[in-house]
Amino acid sequence: MAGENEKDKGTPKAGAAGPRKLDRREVLTGLSTVPALGLFGYAWNKQRQYQQAKAEAAAAPAEAPKDLQVINVALLGAGAQGQVLTDAMLRIPGLRFRAVCDIWAEYNQKRVVNSLAKFKHEVRGYEDYREMLDKEKEIDAVVIASPDFWHAQHAVDCLKAGKHVYCEKEMSNTLEGARSMVAAARETGKLLQIGHQRRSNPRYLHCYEKLLREAKLLGRVVTVSGQWNRAVAPDLGAPARYAIPDARLTQYGFKDMHQFRNWRWYKGKGGGPIVDLGSHQIDIYSWFLGANPTGVMASGGLLYHDPATHEWYDTVMAVYDFETPMGKVKASYQTQTTNGSQGYFENFMGDQGTLLLSESEVYGAKLYRDPNAPAWDTWVQNGYVSAPKIQEIKEKTEGVTDVRESVSPDEHKVSVVLRDPYHQPHLQNFFNAVRGKAKLNCPPEVAYESAVAVLKVNEAIEAGSRLSFKPEDFRI
Amino acid sequence: MDRDRTDGGLLIERRGELGDVRRFSHEAMATVFEVHLAHPDERYAAQAAQAAFELVDRLERELSRFLPNSDIARVNHLAAGGTTQVSPSAMECLVIARHVFDLTGGAFDVSIGTGLPSLELDPDDSMVRATTDGVRIDLGGIGKGYAVDLMAEQLGEWGLEKALVHGGFSSVLALEAPEGVDGWPLTLSDPGSPSRVLARLSVRQMALGASGLRKGDHIVDPYTGEPARGCRAAWVAVPRPDTARHEARSEGRPRIAAAAVADALTTAFMLMSPEEIETLCERNPGLEAWVFPEPDDGRPGDASLLHFGDSASGYTSTSL
Amino acid sequence: MEDGKLTRVPMIAMTVLRVAIGWHFLYEGIAKLTSPAWSAAGYLKQARGPFADLFKGLAGNPDLLANADLITMWGLTLVGTLLILGLFTRLATLGGIGFILLFYLCNPPFVGYFYSIPTEGSYLIVNKNLVELCALVVILVTGSGRFAGLDVFLHRWFGRRTKPAAA
Repeated sequence: MAGENEKDKGTPKAGAAGPRKLDRREVLTGLSTVPALGLFGYAWNKQRQYQQAKAEAAAAPAEAPKDLQVINVALLGAGAQGQVLTDAMLRIPGLRFRAVCDIWAEYNQKRVVNSLAKFKHEVRGYEDYREMLDKEKEIDAVVIASPDFWHAQHAVDCLKAGKHVYCEKEMSNTLEGARSMVAAARETGKLLQIGHQRRSNPRYLHCYEKLLREAKLLGRVVTVSGQWNRAVAPDLGAPARYAIPDARLTQYGFKDMHQFRNWRWYKGKGGGPIVDLGSHQIDIYSWFLGANPTGVMASGGLLYHDPATHEWYDTVMAVYDFETPMGKVKASYQTQTTNGSQGYFENFMGDQGTLLLSESEVYGAKLYRDPNAPAWDTWVQNGYVSAPKIQEIKEKTEGVTDVRESVSPDEHKVSVVLRDPYHQPHLQNFFNAVRGKAKLNCPPEVAYESAVAVLKVNEAIEAGSRLSFKPEDFRI
Repeated sequence: MDRDRTDGGLLIERRGELGDVRRFSHEAMATVFEVHLAHPDERYAAQAAQAAFELVDRLERELSRFLPNSDIARVNHLAAGGTTQVSPSAMECLVIARHVFDLTGGAFDVSIGTGLPSLELDPDDSMVRATTDGVRIDLGGIGKGYAVDLMAEQLGEWGLEKALVHGGFSSVLALEAPEGVDGWPLTLSDPGSPSRVLARLSVRQMALGASGLRKGDHIVDPYTGEPARGCRAAWVAVPRPDTARHEARSEGRPRIAAAAVADALTTAFMLMSPEEIETLCERNPGLEAWVFPEPDDGRPGDASLLHFGDSASGYTSTSL
Repeated sequence: MEDGKLTRVPMIAMTVLRVAIGWHFLYEGIAKLTSPAWSAAGYLKQARGPFADLFKGLAGNPDLLANADLITMWGLTLVGTLLILGLFTRLATLGGIGFILLFYLCNPPFVGYFYSIPTEGSYLIVNKNLVELCALVVILVTGSGRFAGLDVFLHRWFGRRTKPAAA
């Protein structure tokens, strides 16, 4: 309310026979409300400062400092994922692209070379990555987005050539391959980051560090579920006029153009949808639960797609066992390529609450507090979760409480928003580590543990029974 | 402003002559995109269509203001003085949007009055700079058209020239016609009563935009808050320039996005009077427009189709 | 008017009321002046009640609207400042009454009307605008400015008249 008020001692004479002279009292009363204006000015100034601070926080991050060490980058694999990574990298300051390598010189290689040229990166295109490593002496880091069965060789050769490496997931389509990558990283002392980009996603980091580890909002997590459902889509094709000659396809391990485009479905090249899609989310299971699985059983099959062009399973359902510090956990995972219902998410269910999250920025993260759990007020107040959107309480029917349905728990959101392309934070983490300013969020040993857990699923489907993990399986 | 639009009564006339034209559909950008391809190999055509739809999905991820990490969402969160880098596609869309803003005297405004001119666009560095707070961009009136342009270009790379691509039929791009016809047969009809055909077109290498209102709907004029005194439906045809047909992308030449411009123009036309549309067509030769005006006394069904501009569309009117 | 003067404690309370209302007006005015591109158009277009057409018409006319915006922004600021300072109080109070009357009539909480601008509280005919308007009337008739405000000086220096001209 208003500021200075009148501490008047005298009575106000109603102007009766008012002399032209003013006595001190009257001067004081006259000026008594002026300080209110001063107080207003002060409060107004504070308000402006606050608004400015808010605006600065919301504004784009500061320009890169001029003395940012420039990192010379080469791209190895310019397909769909390579292009996604390039789009993200073009927004990261302090990177200079030098070379692009892809065996599809006529199409993907040329396309990426041109799009980099638009952003003033003069890059040379290569078909043979060894030639690139020989000729391009100034490369500091290589980003690998080639097919899974090439990851091990590409990564090992690049590390041995003295380059830091960011390699897409899955680490490798075989455990031998993955082990060789860990060994090479250790021997050469160069950095190797595997592309499980949720490990650097601000919302995932917030959920893990603040909500699970610090606040323990879910209580004891006992079950986890997750899925990635995709609708039917035709196989990937290629423009007829840009077909790659057979000789070149064979040289790089592909039997024909169709296999070159759809390698994920072939044994010896990829691992099918459970590896393509599941590797991300199963990695999250281990990360958030703080443990590696002790066993897995799985059922899968090629239920829908053409066996002539699909060797791996198009539908997989798996159940993992975990033993975490808080107790045992069972985690199920499903992937299918015939129906996209509910897309992709992970659901952590504890005795005090539920965490439903997805990488998708549209979906975000939702938390539900079990009605019997202690209130989350402290966490709402310090912004860890939003204030709850209260769900309607079901109406009583005929005066008798309907006990069959429990009251829906209140829904809290996590207000951490990612405004950049999905892979940008993880790439930024890698380049910051190259500059010595950060630690890798997904170093090879961590990614190896994921690879062990994920690759076992196909084995388990084959075996038709529950397979166990020993702790040594995850260590190298 | 854009939410009341329908397909504007632009349809392909199903006639026997169209032969082995295959149709593929995909939902994106809150509408249904379709690719009609005349090609003997069903499988190749399906793969090409799928690649085109993946392109639309990528564009949606960059352009949609509803995705918190899209380029446009980032632009909408810029404070005064802030900058952000956007993808080349997003930049191209903004440049075209600005161009049509100027062309239509502000009737086409992707910022819906929040200050499009205050955004500085730097196409070379692909950077957008906001000079004031509060600019909000919604590319709904141009995004579908732009997607259609890029899809058609990509289909060209796959060697599929006999094609028609559209987004919810509000933005249509006809490439070469199938065997046996000179052009793709399209009809314009009254969106209020779709069975009533107002005109027939036969088009090739042409982009068309269509905008229309359902019976009883009104577009609200952002300046007065009152229903706009404009058109019930409007269509525009923009010829596709020759340069767009080559491998423009791989050669680094700039694109001329006919369908994006057509999409934007018809959005604007809904707020412009028939006289203003006629003037615009006179000033820009090559454009062709049809307007189904709002009858003055509010009674539907009595208006007749107005036609402006050069007639490159093989347009034949139907007697009313 | 001068005979409507109250004794000391009520006058102090009146002064506090006057400064509070003045602060409110001043902040409203300054907030609009310093926000980018504020316009009354949004509020006017939501007009209801017997004068709705008048307000909407104002919103639709760009020239009138620009003037209305300026008058509102500067007027609120001026009224607020004057009320806090207790200068030209009567004039400022009348101005304030005028503004609030317009705001009230633009969106009156009559029976059966619902706001499109969501507001807090439940109102039926009497809402906060109306209350503030009544408060200003009270200030008007009790001459608070001459009690504790710069009008003390005005009154002294320019003498006493039956109908004071300036304040």
